[in-house]
Formats: sequence, structure tokens, C-alpha cells
Amino acid sequence: MSTNSFSIVFIFQILSIFIFIVPSISAVGSPINIWPKPRSFTWTTPHAIPLSTSFTITSPSHPYLTPAINRYLRQIQTAQYKPSIIPTINLTTSLQFQTLTVTVSDITAPLSHGVNESYTLTIPSNTTSGTLTAATPWGAMRGLESFSQLVWGNPARVAAGLVISDWPMFEHRGILLDTSRNYYGVDDLLRLIGAMSANKLNVFHWHITDSQSFPLVLKSEPELAMKGSYGPDMQYSAEDVKRVVEFGLEHGVRIIPEIDMPGHTGSWAEAYPEIVACANMFWWPAGAPWEERLAAEPGTGHLNPLIPKTYDVVKNVIKEMTTLFPDSFYHGGVDEVVPGCWKADPTIQKYLAGNGTLSQVLEIFINNTNPYILSLNRTAVYWEDVILDGEIKVNPSILPPATTIMQTWNGGPNNTKRLVSAGYRTIVSSADFYYLDCGHGDFTGNNSAYDQPPGFKQTKGGSWCGPFKSWQLIYNYDIAYGLNETEAKLVLGGEVALWSEQSDPRVLDSRIWPRASAMAEALWSGNLDEMGMKRSADATDRLNEWVNRMVSRGVKAEPIQPLWCVRNPGMCNTYNPIF
Amino acid sequence: MCTYNFHNLFILSLIFFLPLISAVGSPINIWPKPRSFTWTTPHAIPLSPSFTINSPSHPYLTPSVNRYLRQIQTTQYNPLLTPLINFTISLPLQTLTITVSDLTPPLSHGVNESYTLTVPANTTVATLTVATPWGAMRGLESFSQLVWGNPARVATGLVVSDWPMFEHRGIVLDTSRNFYPVEDLLRLIGAMSANKLNVFHWHITDSQSFPLVLESEPELAGKGSYGPEMQYSAADVKRVVEFGLEHGIRIVPEIDMPGHTGSWAEAYPDIVACANMFWWPAGATWEDRLASEPGTGHLNPLIPKTYDVVKNVIKETTTLFPDSFYHAGADEIVPGCWKADATIQNYLAGNGTLSQVLEIFINNTHPHIVSLNRTAVYWEDVILDATIKVNPSILSPETTIMQTWNGGPDNTKRLVSAGYRTIVSSSDYYYLDCGHGDFTGNNSAYDQPPGFDQKQGGSWCGPFKSWQLIYNYDITYGLNETEAKLVLGGEVALWSEQADPTVLDSRVWPRASAMGEVLWSGNRDEMGVKRSGEATDRLNEWVHRMVSRGVKAEPIQPLWCVRNPGMCNTLNPVF
Repeated sequence: MSTNSFSIVFIFQILSIFIFIVPSISAVGSPINIWPKPRSFTWTTPHAIPLSTSFTITSPSHPYLTPAINRYLRQIQTAQYKPSIIPTINLTTSLQFQTLTVTVSDITAPLSHGVNESYTLTIPSNTTSGTLTAATPWGAMRGLESFSQLVWGNPARVAAGLVISDWPMFEHRGILLDTSRNYYGVDDLLRLIGAMSANKLNVFHWHITDSQSFPLVLKSEPELAMKGSYGPDMQYSAEDVKRVVEFGLEHGVRIIPEIDMPGHTGSWAEAYPEIVACANMFWWPAGAPWEERLAAEPGTGHLNPLIPKTYDVVKNVIKEMTTLFPDSFYHGGVDEVVPGCWKADPTIQKYLAGNGTLSQVLEIFINNTNPYILSLNRTAVYWEDVILDGEIKVNPSILPPATTIMQTWNGGPNNTKRLVSAGYRTIVSSADFYYLDCGHGDFTGNNSAYDQPPGFKQTKGGSWCGPFKSWQLIYNYDIAYGLNETEAKLVLGGEVALWSEQSDPRVLDSRIWPRASAMAEALWSGNLDEMGMKRSADATDRLNEWVNRMVSRGVKAEPIQPLWCVRNPGMCNTYNPIF
Repeated sequence: MCTYNFHNLFILSLIFFLPLISAVGSPINIWPKPRSFTWTTPHAIPLSPSFTINSPSHPYLTPSVNRYLRQIQTTQYNPLLTPLINFTISLPLQTLTITVSDLTPPLSHGVNESYTLTVPANTTVATLTVATPWGAMRGLESFSQLVWGNPARVATGLVVSDWPMFEHRGIVLDTSRNFYPVEDLLRLIGAMSANKLNVFHWHITDSQSFPLVLESEPELAGKGSYGPEMQYSAADVKRVVEFGLEHGIRIVPEIDMPGHTGSWAEAYPDIVACANMFWWPAGATWEDRLASEPGTGHLNPLIPKTYDVVKNVIKETTTLFPDSFYHAGADEIVPGCWKADATIQNYLAGNGTLSQVLEIFINNTHPHIVSLNRTAVYWEDVILDATIKVNPSILSPETTIMQTWNGGPDNTKRLVSAGYRTIVSSSDYYYLDCGHGDFTGNNSAYDQPPGFDQKQGGSWCGPFKSWQLIYNYDITYGLNETEAKLVLGGEVALWSEQADPTVLDSRVWPRASAMGEVLWSGNRDEMGVKRSGEATDRLNEWVHRMVSRGVKAEPIQPLWCVRNPGMCNTLNPVF
């Protein structure tokens, strides 16, 4: 009982008789694949050799690479991965694969934006050892992941006779997770980071706080979490953060923290009601137009930039953040500053009465915080709203491109173009393509829009950013669409985002995987094949296998097809477009 | 970074008043909401550590009582919001006494599920009075939801009088496109029982795999399943059926035919038309597809051997599944498949029609189903399909129930006005898999320049069916009283092209809970107004309780909304 009923009928006035040809099936390049697909994978005579039970990896000692090697060694020795389709590859049983030797030319490079992640992995035919050559420890981790995906079966065997030469297309490949609307335990974050590393993603953008809760415990401002979190069992201690940061380092994943401000700060009011405008008000007064809302969604509160005390608290927060999180990027937030909130505050009303503007209020905030962020040796990342918002925005001149990175989420490629053409390095999180929470209805209560007579058009099903962003949509999106070469160079990469109004630990894995894997491949090696054609069709078969492998590693990724499709390659394709 | 961009705006001046917050009726709730819940002086008393349930002995009620007893004693449920109820520590509740007026009724369609639960103030004994063991299970579930905390306490001074609005309240799960181990099915059935649902419609087989092991036709699963580890043995089925009985859940099996039978061809290529062909030839029109989705194959009604196999299958299925309903499928018969078969081509050349071919099939199988003391359930296609359908006169409303999935309330009306008892599974409202894109590979429709209208995101039945949409749907919409009586109830459906055990719980719950309440006690409050606003708060708590019981239901709101009742409402419609 599932059909494809199309209102659009394709009138290919073909033959009135049927053509019963099975169209040529795009064969998967090889039965063993690596996700994301490497830039160059040469496998002249596909065969496999048994992995020795005493297989080892030799490598230079390094505080983060060494744990990574131990982890991969354990995984490779115990995985006994069972592919969905048994690879039909000759097994050379005469010898056993004993050693992978890792060579790193610069062991000192820290994990940071733009670090060299390239690697070359060589598993020669008929030998007992392979080599992994990398410029940095972080590239070595990428190569180890690739190696782990060449191993399968029980007893384990490894693909041989191959050379992989690989490096990323974009330097910034991330996932944003919101831990404020609903809380996630540290174990969930670690599982996420582990899976990110397996997908060669390298940035976890941690949207820690928002109006709904402030889970981060700060020594300098303990009241914020104590009063603003969901409770003592739903906080992140300094120790928790350290665990996340260290785990990230051992997986080659940077942790970029975001303490969103000056909007999205309702939770601060539990500790500091005096510095938060419009806190704890009803978000959208009955009968008021959308322009008069007090927040973009339920949960009001914006920091008040006109009160000196605001900066006492904010600076404590920013400073402690930079001690907790070593990454050189610091996300300063600044999305969705709405007029109604500040207008509801008497101090700001006064300022406006003296011919001040709301944009000036925001400029005061930025001028009081941006230099401070820079003084702590951080590059500030802001949501695009700070300069592109329709109403409240700063003059771009106060945010020099040299010290500022913009993150876009509205307007698809148009806003990306606006940002890079203004000279900003840009991270793409287009809501039209990269928002993983979209398409699941809406969370507001008592919404009469849901009660319509049958036959009404369901449109986006109540989700402002619906429909659901399928993995294919994500895969096919070109984040540098419409840009010239100079502009395209300013696109650092992208981040898929999971906002948590309707997500929590129970759905984390399935909301993220494998859709984040789709972005991961597109940003690592692109979405085009050797002929320059989009390769999402070929990727379907490979992604099925990758989902299977992720599940075998404890990541509960969504299925993308019936198993039947995997077992019958090409038979679930369509050559007539289905909209 | 989450916003609402609206085009239709209400141009009114600012009104800064806090809207009336619709208070939850009481801090302790039962999902689905009972028909009548009288709690004059809300308070709670401790549950005695030696609390027991007295009940007559019954093969299925007794295990159920033992299960609830264990659950009640060990749960220590921690509500999202601590109920502000006076706690009287003097008198612990010692006993729940169950009285069943008739222990003999079997679990079947229309069985009396009513119960009256009384937890009097200031006593140590509560009573549950029911007509049947199955009603007792409903009452036990309600009682279990009155208990919370550590140490446990129970709401008291109340009377719950409850009975369902619709007799058929179910879930369809497709175990053919992807396989679900028995453990997943049992968890599903357990959660169904907690939601007072009563029918598990098991869509066991389809073109993709045939996981059911049949003694009389062992090759079907032997060759047509996804493998030996992805089969249901007779012992597995027995476990599911028994588990269902212990939870008051009927198991209605479906072996879809004559379409959706590609998997049969692995064992019997000779009886399956168009098997293993590419589903939609390149350049062909949609009308010329061979199947409604990848995975071709329809049983060939013109070959006698087909009936040898089919009758073995039907017969053994009725021995495995005791329920008096038998789902015979008959959805999505597509012309292209039968037209691709030589025998059928011959028949058509002799002025036969495809509808006649289907009639031959129905005439050869329906009487067999009826002879096995079963009521046959068919998908509506069997009489409503635009191209291939039978004359309704060969399917008597006496022996036939129809299940609708197309056309929303219009098709429901067509079926009941033709006299058929009808089960509603409208894909516009009740399909839980919709809105997650499409699963076909190599679909060029996905590669469009930015700015294109994403419409339904590639899902034929998109958008996603939110719990609110499901909650607000009236399955008897537009029917007169006589017609409405023929609507037996509804079933939400999870088709498994893009679902498997990793997402089972979150796809089904709490959206099936939304239907669970609507079909049990309706979607309106005492004033006759839709109550989904108020239901939001109760559903949050119910999601939390389901999760505490090991069912990984989706969250519907930030915890902040639960902690700040009413503050996440909207009084301006959000489209």
C-alpha cells in the first residue's frame, strides 16, 4: 500500500507498446567502498588478503594520534563487519596482512582550521604490510578511517593492491547540534563526534545555550546554569566539556562553541533578570502581527546592550568559554534579534525616544563584545543576521572580514553570495538544504492551523522550513553555486544543523545519519563523478553499505531503501524523474 | 536559528496580554483520555510495598495482571512536572480488586472493552469492574498511569468510567520491505496496549521479501525471505499471537495478493507474472509501469497452480493466526504487470479484461477465506481502483471489510455508502512513513538548481503527518449516522521502504498515540471543541512515560514548554 501517484504525467509519447529493457545498471565502482569517496582510489587488481590476528599499526607517538590508533586497531580486530552484499573478490590466502605503518611528516601541527588532512594509503599486492603517509596526525586519522573501511568479514580480510590518495575539497565540514531546547547527555555527544570522524567531518559546532536552557556550568558565572539549566542532571560541567574536547582531538574533530547572544538568551534571566529584556513574556501576543512578536519562537529574552552589567556577565562568559574550548573559532551568535523584545524594555524605549535605533543598540553590543573576543585570540563567527537582517543589523564596517566569519542560513545561495561578495569567509548552513530538523511539523501548542477540513492543502505540514531535507537533496546541493572563483574561495565549507525543538537523544542518530554523511561526501570529494555528472545515483548503493557499517558500529542511522534494493543493484532506480 | 516566516499577517496593534492558558484538567492524566474521569478531591496516597491485584484466573488476564503488578511496583515513574496533589500518608493502597462479569468472551472485533475503575478516598482497596478480561487490561493500563514517584503513590478519590468510541484501533507494520525481529514486534505490541490500541495489522509479505515460514509452502520463505536470520518461524508467530492476547491486541495477518508478490517468484516463478523485471521502463509513461514501486510481480490468476499455492498459504495462515479477520490485500494491481505475461495476453486477446482477471482471482480465493471462518479484509482498490477492479457484487458486505487509504474522506464515504464496513488508513493522515523523501535511486528530480520549489520533498504522500494532523482528523467526516456506523475504526501505517528497527519507535510514537486517543475518546473536549491544544501538554507527559518504559518515542516540544505550560502556544495560526 504504497504508491507513487503523480499528478504530473510524463507524456513521452513513446511507443504504445512497452519497452521491456532493463536499463543499463550503473555498476558500483567496486564492491568495497570508502565513505566519503576518496579523491583518488586506484585498485588495479582487486583482491583481498587475510588480516593477521596479530595485525598491528606502527606510528609515531602523539597525544591524540596514539589513542586514535589504539581505537582503530581494536575496531579493526573486532568488527567482523558483515557487508550487505558479500564482495566477490579473490582472496589470496598465501600470506597475511601484518602491519600498517603510519608516517607523519609534521607531527606538531595542531588541529585547526585548514590543517592538512591529506593522506596516502598504500596496500600493495601480495605483501604483508601497507603504508599510510600523512602530512599531519589529523590526516593520519582520516587515512586510518579509510583503512578501517577496507576491512570486512570474519575472519577479517583486507582489500589489497590499491593506492588511495585523498584530501578534502572544503576545509570546514561540520554538524551543529542545539543542546538547549532539549538536553543531550555527554555520551550522546561523544557518539555523535565518533560518527562524525568516521564520515571525515571535522567540526562540531556546539550550540550550547539558548532561551530555553543554559546547560553549561561556568565557574565565573555559576548562577547561569544553576538557575538557567533544566536541572542538575541536565548540565555540562567543566569536566564534561574537557571530555568532549579531548574526545574531539582524538577523533580529529574541532569543537566550536556557541553561546548565542544578544538574542536567544531568555535562560540567562533566571540568574540575571536585570540584564535580559522581555524575559518570560508570551512570545507572540494574540492578534499581534508577526512583526510584533517578542521572539522568533516561544521562549523570549534578549540581553540588554544598554546596561553595563550585561558586559560584566558577558565578558566572564566569553572569557571562560575560551579557556574551556581551545579552538581558534568562537561563535558569537547574533541571529534573530527581534524588534519586539527590545522595544518592550524601558531602558531601550528611552534610548529609542532619543532618536536611537535598534540597529544602533545592536552596534553597541557588537562594539562591546567583538573586540573582546578578538583580544582572546579568537576568530568570531556570526550568523548572517548581524549584517543581513531586514531590520536590526550593524554596519559591516565594524566587523572586518579579517577577523570575522559569517554563517548563512537564509536565502539559499543568494545569501552566500551576498556574504562572500562583501569579503567575508562564509560557512553554509542553508535552511533550505542543511536543516535536519525540518519537515516534522511544528511544536507550538494550541495551533488552530492544524485543524482544517479534509482536503485542505497540507503544504509544508506546519514546518516553517519544510519539507524534510532528504539525503539526495543535501547531496546535490552545491554550496558554491553561482559564485565566481574568488568568491568560491571564501566559502570555507558547510554545516548541517539539528535544532532540538523536536529532537532529543532518542532521535539524534536517525535525524543526523545518514543525511550528514551526504554532506560529508559532497564537501570532502564533491558530488560529481569523473565525467562531471552528479553521482547521487551511484552514491545510493554506496550509502546503503555505509549505513549498514555505521549501524554495525552502534550508530542508529536511518535506512534509505529496502534491503531488496541493495540486493538487486539498479532495480530501484528510476529513469523517469519523480518529483 | 529557527524562525517563522509568514506571509499572512494580522495587522493589529500590539496587545501585550498573556493569553488564557488552557490548564491541564489535572496534573495526573491517562492517555488516551478516559470518557469519564471524576476526581472530586484530588489527592494521593502511598502505594503499599505489598500492593497486590486480586483477579479471577484467566489464561491471558493473569499474565497481564502479573505484568502490571511488576510494572507498578518497580517503575518509580518520575513525571516531567511534579504533580501538586495533596499527599495523605496515612493509608497506603493495598489492593486492586478486579471483577469480571464474563470471563469467556474471546478477544475479537467488538468485544466489550469497557471498565470502571474506582479508587475511593480514604480506603485501602480499589476496584476495577469490567465486562470482559480485555476490558480489565484497559483498566489495568489506566490504573498504572495513576501511579508515580519513588516511593510510589497513587491518585485517589476518583472514578474512571471508560469505553472506546471505535472498536478497531490499529497499526499496520510492513515487515517485507525491511525486516523487523520479533523483539521489535513485541515492543510495538506492548506499546500499543499501553495506548489502548487493539489491532496489530501485520503486513507480513510483499514483493521485496517473504519472511513467513510456512510448513505447507516452505520454499516461499526458504527462497523468498531476506535470509534465514530474517524469517518468522511458526514459533515466532505463536509468540507474537500469545503476546498479543496477553496485551489485548488482536493480530490480523495480511499476505498481500495478487499484487505485491514478487518475492513468491523465487520459489514459484511459474505462478508470478512480470517477476524480476525493471519496475518502470525508461521513457515509459506512469500508466505503463510494471509495479507501483521497485519490486515487480503479481500472481497469475489464470494458472491453476497459483491456487494450489495460494490456498495452502491462506489455510496455514489461518491456523497460525486465530483472529477472525484475514487481510487479503488486493491493492495496487497495475495493468503493466499482467499485460507483460503471455497467458494473460492470450486471455486479453480473446476479449477478456484485466478486471475479469482480477475477478477470477477473487472468485477463487474469497470463498476459500470465508470457508475458513474468516471475514476478509481488502484494500479499497479491489472495488475502487480506476482500471482494475471487481464488480462489488462478488464481494458481499456480509463477508467483506474494506480498508481505505486513498482519497481521504471521499473514499470512506464511497465504501460505507456501498454498504461495506470500513477501516480508515487515509494516506493523507495516517501514513507514518510519509514526508521522508523518496527511496528510488538515480532520480534526476533531486538534482535541481537552487530556488526550485521543493514541494513535498520527493515523498509521494508528503508532507510528514504531524501528530496534530492525525489528532484532528475525523474518520467519519461527511458521513451520515448510518454510514458512520460502518466505520469500524482506523489504522496508522508504517510502510518500511525507509523504515526498519532503527527508527521503528520514533516513527510510530507518539503519532500513533494521537490516533489512539482520538479513536478511544475522540478529539473534542466537553464543549465540543477540538482539544489538541490541551492534548499537547498531556502528550508530553505520555511521551515521557512511554520513554520510561523503554519505547523511544519522539519528543514533540522542548522541555521548556512542558515546564512553562501555555507559553509555547500560539493564538495566531501558524501555517
